Amino acid sequence: MKKVTIYALSTCLWCRKTKKYFEEKKIPFEAVDYDKQDEEKQKAMTAEMKAAGFNCSFPFVRIDGECTQGFDPAEFDRMLDGK
Amino acid sequence: MSVEGRKKALRELFAPTVDRLGYKFTPNDEDADFLLEQLANIEAETGVPYCPCQARSKDRAADMRMVCPCIPFHRKHYDAMRRCWCGLFVHKDVTDPDSLRQIPEGRVK
Repeated sequence: MKKVTIYALSTCLWCRKTKKYFEEKKIPFEAVDYDKQDEEKQKAMTAEMKAAGFNCSFPFVRIDGECTQGFDPAEFDRMLDGK
Repeated sequence: MSVEGRKKALRELFAPTVDRLGYKFTPNDEDADFLLEQLANIEAETGVPYCPCQARSKDRAADMRMVCPCIPFHRKHYDAMRRCWCGLFVHKDVTDPDSLRQIPEGRVK
């Protein structure tokens, strides 16, 4: 099974919808709330998002080695299917 | 001021501004209520109603680009999505906000 990681903000509506989407599909994921992390971890998360070509808008979703940003179920499905 | 009172005040404050920009509040009342509550809480914490879906940095100029309503700073991006990033505002002609996709800024053509 592919590894799913979600970077989120606790205040973000679309982060909640993203987590709910994977929960309803019964796909396990790791979720990290950026605003609940210490400064060091936030820097690492920001660097990872920028290295993937994105800014610091949330949600940020990594499925294995592929990344996207925003709540986009069609894109999540495509990434899960590996197409 | 209570959170409910500030939510109402923010709605009245933002409405004429976004109207002039060609946007309106999302017709999804549940989403609008949630987002306004986040804005009221962020404003109570920081003094500024920053976007609830964008991370703040220590760069004031960068952070000013995410003060709600942040539409003027992201015009091309938001016009392409027909909504702002957090979804509180949509283009005036949008009736089904759930049909709109969030598109990463770098992928906007």
